[in-house]
Amino acid sequence: MIDNNFDRRDFLKVLGWGGAAVALSGCGNTSVEDGKETVVSYVEAAEYVAPGISVYFNSTCAQCDAGCSISGRVREGRVLKLEGNPDSVINRGKMCGLGQAGVQHHYNPDRVREPLLRSGDRGEAITWDKAYALIAEKLNGVSGDQIDFLTGTVSGHTKALLGNYLESLGSKNHFVYEAVSPAVQRAANMKSYGMEMPRFNINKAKVVLSFGADFLGAWVSPVHFSQQYAEFRKGVDGQRGVLVQVESKMTLTGANADRWLVVRPGTEGILAMGVINALGVAGLSLSADVAAAVKPYDKERVSKDTGVSTESLVKLAALLKDRTPSLVLLGSAAEGYAHGSQNAAAINLLNQVLGNVGKTLEASAAVPFPQIAPTIGNTAALRMVNNRLADGQIKVLFTYGTNPVFTAPSEMKFKENLGKANFRVAFAHYLDETALQADLVLPLDSALEDWGTLVAEYQPEGVQISVQQPLMEKLHPETRGMGEILLSLVKQRQPESYKAFDDYYAYLRTAMLKNKSEFANSAMDDDVFWNGVLSAGIINVGGNLNKLSSKLSTNIQLPAPAEQDAKYPFTLIPSVTANLRDGRHANQPWLQESPDPLTTIVWDSWVEIHPKKAAELGIVEGDIIAIESKNGTINAQAYLFPGIHPDAVSIPLGRGHEAMGRYAKGYGVNPFQILDRVFDGETGELAMHETKVKLSKVGKRVIVVKDEGFAGGAQHGKKIAMTKSSDQVDLSEEV
Amino acid sequence: MKDIREDIAWAKINKDVLKSLESPRNLYWVIVIGALLVFSVGVGCEIYQYNVGMGVANLDNPHVWGLYIATFIFWIGMSHSGTLLSAILHLMHADWRKPIYRFAEAMTTFSLMTAGLFVMVHLGRLWQFYYSLPYPNDRGLWPNFQSPLLWDAMAIFTYLSSSILFLFVGMIPDLAICRDNIHSGWRKKLYTVLALGWEGTDRQWRNFRVTYLTIACFLIPLAVSVHSIVASDFAMSQQPGWHVTSFPPYFVAGALYSGCAAIITLFIILRYVFKFEEYMTLPILKKTVRLTFAIAMVWTYLNAVEFASVWYSHDIASKDVLIQKATGPYAPYWWGMIFCGSVVPLILAFKRFQTNIPVLLVTSLLLNLGMWLERWMIVAPTYSHGYYPWTWDHDQFPSWVQWGMVFGSFGWFTLLFMVFCKVFPSVSMYEVKEMVYHRSLASKKLEVSGSQESVEGAH
Amino acid sequence: MSVSNLLENWAEFRHTHPVDDVPHDPYKWAMSIDLDACSGCNACSIACYAENNIPVVGKDKFEHGQVMHWMRIERYWPEDGREFPDQGATFLPMMCQQCEAAPCETVCPVGATNHTADGLNSQIYNRCVGSRYCSANCPFKVRYFNWYDYPTTENVWPAEMTQQLNPDITLRGKGVMEKCTFCVQRIRAGERAVKNEGRILRDGEVQTACQQVCPTGAITFGNLVDPESKVHQKWKAQQVELTADEQEKDKEEGGTDLRGYRILEELRPYPSVMYMERVRESAI
Ligand SMILES: Nc1nc2c(c(=O)[nH]1)N[C@H]1C(S)=C(S)[C@@H](COP(=O)(O)OP(=O)(O)OC[C@H]3O[C@@H](n4cnc5c(=O)[nH]c(N)nc54)[C@H](O)[C@@H]3O)O[C@H]1N2
Ligand code: SF4
Ligand code: SF4
Ligand code: SF4
Ligand code: SF4
Ligand code: SF4
Repeated sequence: MIDNNFDRRDFLKVLGWGGAAVALSGCGNTSVEDGKETVVSYVEAAEYVAPGISVYFNSTCAQCDAGCSISGRVREGRVLKLEGNPDSVINRGKMCGLGQAGVQHHYNPDRVREPLLRSGDRGEAITWDKAYALIAEKLNGVSGDQIDFLTGTVSGHTKALLGNYLESLGSKNHFVYEAVSPAVQRAANMKSYGMEMPRFNINKAKVVLSFGADFLGAWVSPVHFSQQYAEFRKGVDGQRGVLVQVESKMTLTGANADRWLVVRPGTEGILAMGVINALGVAGLSLSADVAAAVKPYDKERVSKDTGVSTESLVKLAALLKDRTPSLVLLGSAAEGYAHGSQNAAAINLLNQVLGNVGKTLEASAAVPFPQIAPTIGNTAALRMVNNRLADGQIKVLFTYGTNPVFTAPSEMKFKENLGKANFRVAFAHYLDETALQADLVLPLDSALEDWGTLVAEYQPEGVQISVQQPLMEKLHPETRGMGEILLSLVKQRQPESYKAFDDYYAYLRTAMLKNKSEFANSAMDDDVFWNGVLSAGIINVGGNLNKLSSKLSTNIQLPAPAEQDAKYPFTLIPSVTANLRDGRHANQPWLQESPDPLTTIVWDSWVEIHPKKAAELGIVEGDIIAIESKNGTINAQAYLFPGIHPDAVSIPLGRGHEAMGRYAKGYGVNPFQILDRVFDGETGELAMHETKVKLSKVGKRVIVVKDEGFAGGAQHGKKIAMTKSSDQVDLSEEV
Repeated sequence: MKDIREDIAWAKINKDVLKSLESPRNLYWVIVIGALLVFSVGVGCEIYQYNVGMGVANLDNPHVWGLYIATFIFWIGMSHSGTLLSAILHLMHADWRKPIYRFAEAMTTFSLMTAGLFVMVHLGRLWQFYYSLPYPNDRGLWPNFQSPLLWDAMAIFTYLSSSILFLFVGMIPDLAICRDNIHSGWRKKLYTVLALGWEGTDRQWRNFRVTYLTIACFLIPLAVSVHSIVASDFAMSQQPGWHVTSFPPYFVAGALYSGCAAIITLFIILRYVFKFEEYMTLPILKKTVRLTFAIAMVWTYLNAVEFASVWYSHDIASKDVLIQKATGPYAPYWWGMIFCGSVVPLILAFKRFQTNIPVLLVTSLLLNLGMWLERWMIVAPTYSHGYYPWTWDHDQFPSWVQWGMVFGSFGWFTLLFMVFCKVFPSVSMYEVKEMVYHRSLASKKLEVSGSQESVEGAH
Repeated sequence: MSVSNLLENWAEFRHTHPVDDVPHDPYKWAMSIDLDACSGCNACSIACYAENNIPVVGKDKFEHGQVMHWMRIERYWPEDGREFPDQGATFLPMMCQQCEAAPCETVCPVGATNHTADGLNSQIYNRCVGSRYCSANCPFKVRYFNWYDYPTTENVWPAEMTQQLNPDITLRGKGVMEKCTFCVQRIRAGERAVKNEGRILRDGEVQTACQQVCPTGAITFGNLVDPESKVHQKWKAQQVELTADEQEKDKEEGGTDLRGYRILEELRPYPSVMYMERVRESAI
């Protein structure tokens, strides 16, 4: 890491485009002549510029909200590659594939490059001054409660400024929406443990029983958990950790399990109760009310309801009883039902009964600065905004970090309702489906050219504030950082209070320096402190631990497994994949071409059907299947997938864009569109796994584009990917 | 029936053959124009492929070789017939070869030149092809002498130059006849230069005989080695289905087989087009057909040997490839190869078909198709079913670009051949004269002893 | 161009392997991949794209089998005929195994793929004529051919994206073969960096891109002749010998508790990548 004791802003100015142009000429893709007026002579280069030498600057990955700190390789003014920052307690030098593709977000050819004003169905480029003036004009005379912000998860100083802006508008309507978010679990955790997101110490557990938590894939903080998982596999005292995954559709985590238990969709809670019951039978002492609550869940009934054999149930209970501590995790597969909260309560109860609370499940630290603590999204927010739009309560709507037109079930008629607002402003990187509906589109800087701070929800040790700093000069001169825009907007309202800040950078620096005493020694020189922060890319603050409690709640109502709907016989499982998530990064070609780990399919959507079921229906791989729910139909190619319950089918989320860019548009289908409007009874969250569908062949067949060859996942007797049983190895002797 | 009429006047031989340089049937021009069109299809495909990239051939990773290499082997194989008929039969004093060896030699040369095209169009960077030649350069860079592909390049180059030499040397007395019978124009100049001052003196004839014999002797092992080396491209690799020790003889047999079949085809066409009925007689055709039948059976036997050795070797991967050839997506082509290569030639065993021109034309074309399929079935299935199951890829099928070039190569070959026949005497005048002379002497002797039958058997 | 020059150069260039006659000194780069740690997440594969300027070919070309991923993650199902894969899948990261006796090297007509003194299977792009014989003879099928001219193909690297390209390595034009290099540019940069200090690289000073990103730490890379290196220790603990074609583990059927093995070792390419078997719990 090089010392940052020079003026970074000059550094960027100097290196910026000039450097890029010089470097590019070497690649043969452009000539020096093209960028003649901006070429900077290295004869007079600043002392820190060494052509051909890479320097690494720390910043923050913004591809998801896990808050991994990254170290960007910069050479001749261009960011080339992102590595993990080894000092970050979240990712310890590691990254995921989605994070790797961050550079393709930055260099994406389809980014919005200047403010666009709707004129008819086209966008007309306007200046920022005009854009700001327009916003002021449109806000004029609109009362605060008619102005809404619909954003994705926000934290850090962006969130603080956003709060200030809302306040200056007199609005309290900030709705935070995430289409895929463990929101039911948060509520359940709050009840069971007194906090929404405790720490999960997978590495300290001897057995992990996960109810559909895809912690190696897309769940909460996958890079962090993957590292814990590796430790867990090596084992505590040489005893290798055992992973049991319960779900109806195999996730990446399920594919890594020692035992993958397929359950009838929606019966996860019943299985959890059954395990408690079996633990009791196996001799674990249960409190009277727990024993009473699980009494109806004897192994025969549970086996009948869930489809898990009694033998597996008994073995699982024995394993959990023998090997402690264990850890029970609760994921989207369990919480995605109308009774999701009940499932969650049952699963948390199992964790409590096993005595894991306080051992493998520990208190997390509270962020000491509430203004910058993350506000986590959920789907209930979308519902509220949608209702307000439908009722004509919103005059001006701002959207940021979310693409509701793409992710809202079509039955909500969000796109239509959006038309009822008078003025819609989208802060956007791409002209995605939502931005296309906006009246004004404000182009954002990429994460690699912007300033900011990010505080992750999941905090493994203390609280880590991840600092985001530009790794290079802006690619497009007319984009702005979100903080920058918010500062300009709030200055419109309260010029006096913010006049000290020339720009967002000044705001950020001042804000951080103000809390210097919290972060470091208050006597430290401002510049030394600030350069230290930028150099490290992270600030660790202790943060007081949340209060961990373990309230046993036995008031759990689990409905009997749903009868199969004769008309719509399949449960649709919209799967969240590690690379595409809710689809906001679908325009990054590495992600499109990176095979889905389980099916190895690329560049398209597919519907997973169990081979047995497919045989019954006469479906073979590549058949185009119409998947019809009450709310619509989508067509996708069939993929016969053994890791799915025969009564369920699964389609990945994230593809099926109608806009956004050349790598996203027209590839695959969007299952969000056909989701049924069923909500979790307690939290009002959209129950993602409650959609029932029927399948029909449309009579077309395609070649499924995938990496897997003709042999499928078979090795034909060759010793290629080999497996050993745990009793045949001695991990303690390994290095 | 006799191989050739014994009373043809020498002047008539000259006249008939020289006439082929002037006025062939109209069909000749139809063939030439047709060949040109066919060739231009191939050229178009190559231009497209060169510009856009090899991908348009619909090859893939790991299915990296396709029809180009298969067709390359096919043409190399085809070239063996000339050497066989000319050199081997020459050494064996089988004089019935005399009316037909010239065009067979031309066939050798031109099929080698066609094969060479496929090496070129197959290269990803055609423009750097010379890297594979051992030419002196001040970087001290040499090709990799360990690679069978390099042996290939050198063997083919040697074979091609020797074949051209053989063809040319054998033509010298005839070129002199041409020179002496044509009185002006570019042809005169050409024949004058090429005839190398031939006057037919004893000394010239003596030197000529020795030279011709020497080249013939040199060419035979060369021909065998060329196809053995082509076989090594496969046999020396480590891949299942290729790593077979019997490949070299198997390839050589296949080569002779396809060459003979092609000779039958061309025999029939030339005979008609250039009105060579007097010289390319049915008894000669019959001998060629019998030879072809014998080779077909050798090839069938070697095929059986290969399958059996794979089957009993317990090399599972190779066995899998074999099973896959017979049952997988390639099965129609593989069985087609067996049918055309081993079943169709049975027709040739029947005496009454041995001189039936229409039947022989169709049969010889089918045999060639079988031999082409054989080459494809050697190359492609191994890629579809190698050591590494993850990469098994059974849907690979050549694109129209590959087919276009295979198609075009027939145009190129035909074009060269037809132009040759029009410019050079495609029947050896001096050797036919010799043949007629020897035969008439022999039959005179026989008239004395009275046994007609043993004459045919003697040759 | 004397004959002796030819012979000497050639002998030099066909430096013999395996290693007994010419010991690796001071480096022999090797890997160990723990299949029990690998989760199949594909991060390594994407990191390899980012580090090595690998083109994204798009859906059509992928369909035609023309994908260029140097690192592919294979997913295997248990073949026990059960209705559900209830022991999950096995993921296997597969890239060039940097074979010590590489079948690809001997067949290349122009010597464009060679063995380096530090045990890498190198690929010289501008020497390659595109005969694809190397790919034909690679048992693992990890060589990727440039079927098209990707640098000029639409939407592979649109203008902005060219700025991401790693200047330490070339863009490969149409007609050349490419494959995993063990991130040779990182190795060479590392070697240069320590040269002035008069020492050789220490363990961990050079990481491959796939190793660096891997969130489970499944990939270990390093200098096999350095007894301090993790990779050396892992190979040693698993009793896997670089120059052997049958390891301790295979000598008795299921008899040892070793996990290390090399894929297709029986063909004797002497791969430089050791895999460690996935483990599945016996008690459940
Ligand atoms: N403006 C300017 N001009 C200069 C110089 C400068 O600094 N500035 N430097 C000068 C100096 S020092 C030099 S050395 C020269 C270099 O000038 P050149 O020798 O022209 O250098 P390269 O561009 O490296 O071209 C070498 C060619 O060899 C090809 N090639 C690669 N491998 C092989 C092979 O195995 N066989 C064959 N036959 N060809 C191969 C490459 O594809 C390429 O086309 O330039 C001189 N000219
Ligand atoms: S987990 Fe999220 S923050 Fe971390 S590297 Fe991946 S995308 Fe980036
Ligand atoms: S990054 Fe690591 S865990 Fe992920 S697929 Fe690659 S080797 Fe496996
Ligand atoms: S794995 Fe294949 S490409 Fe790599 S060295 Fe071995 S044979 Fe060559
Ligand atoms: S493709 Fe290139 S490296 Fe491979 S064998 Fe041919 S010339 Fe050699
Ligand atoms: S070692 Fe480097 S080149 Fe090889 S797969 Fe890993 S990242 Fe790619």
